[in-house]
Amino acid sequence: MMGIVDRIKQIDGAVVTVYKENRIFVDVDKDKVIGTLHSLKLMGFNQLSTASAIDRIKDGQFEIFYVLYNYMEKINAIVRMWIPRDNPVIETAGDIYPPVHTWEREMSEMFGVVVNGNEDAGKPFILENWKDLPPLRKDFDTVKYSSEHFVFRHSEGENE
Amino acid sequence: MEKMTQEQAKTIANMLRKRSLWMIHYCTGCGAMELPPTMTSRYDMERLGLAPYVTSRQADILLITGYLNVKTLRRVITVYEQMLDPKYVIGFGSCAINGGVYWDSYAVIKQLDRYIPSDLYIAGCMPRPEAVISAFKHLMELIDSGKANGYERYKRNLAYYKENQRKVLG
Repeated sequence: MMGIVDRIKQIDGAVVTVYKENRIFVDVDKDKVIGTLHSLKLMGFNQLSTASAIDRIKDGQFEIFYVLYNYMEKINAIVRMWIPRDNPVIETAGDIYPPVHTWEREMSEMFGVVVNGNEDAGKPFILENWKDLPPLRKDFDTVKYSSEHFVFRHSEGENE
Repeated sequence: MEKMTQEQAKTIANMLRKRSLWMIHYCTGCGAMELPPTMTSRYDMERLGLAPYVTSRQADILLITGYLNVKTLRRVITVYEQMLDPKYVIGFGSCAINGGVYWDSYAVIKQLDRYIPSDLYIAGCMPRPEAVISAFKHLMELIDSGKANGYERYKRNLAYYKENQRKVLG
């Protein structure tokens, strides 16, 4: 019988890296990610633990990842894909994993990723009255924002 | 018998007030972790007449436990304005004083006393229950001597506080 890793390797477009015995990375193309997630769910990856983005500013891209878990095989699969930073559009995975709905909403608020098919993405979520760049982007200058909006306390004798 | 002046009545009221302080259980940050040992049998703050309470209308003390987000600040101001006079605010830990480790964060305010008047600060990250008990005792002394008058300052300088609040809350 074929092991779970070998079965994942047969998914169309999936590049599998075995990081540890119970943790594997699955790199896919942008247009094949929904199919890959669907296949993994059929293999028993029933839980989606988290989904988020990483700002790869040097490459000009966002890395979007989904962390899945298989209770029967006791194995983590991390599905990763890269999308261009100047046009960050992804399709929702909410039809396969409904809990991803909230993660996608956070992703769109914190990184400015546009999620097609998720009607709540883009609505205010954690931040209130936010008018600046999405705050978890690497080109957002948090010190500058902080010193413009808040007043720092200076102790006596400190050089200002 | 001579009539009591307002000043004398206030002195007596303050003397009684300091012996029965109720603290609203509203936790803003990680400092709330130090409160369960302070409340329960190990350090037992009830021996000083202090007790946790759940509603803002009946509470006397508002503890700002740790960092205060812009989002939480909006709720804290509501809670503070719901509380009845006299009310006292304690800034808890270094984050309430100057932002602490979150000094460059986009979400955390840096000086608590620009938005609501603070009667007392406890230094430390985090203050241990001994420090919290010591701060409560110090607050009692301040109340007794009439120096804990943050709620009066808030009324007197309402325009200043409201302007600062509007600046960050938008």
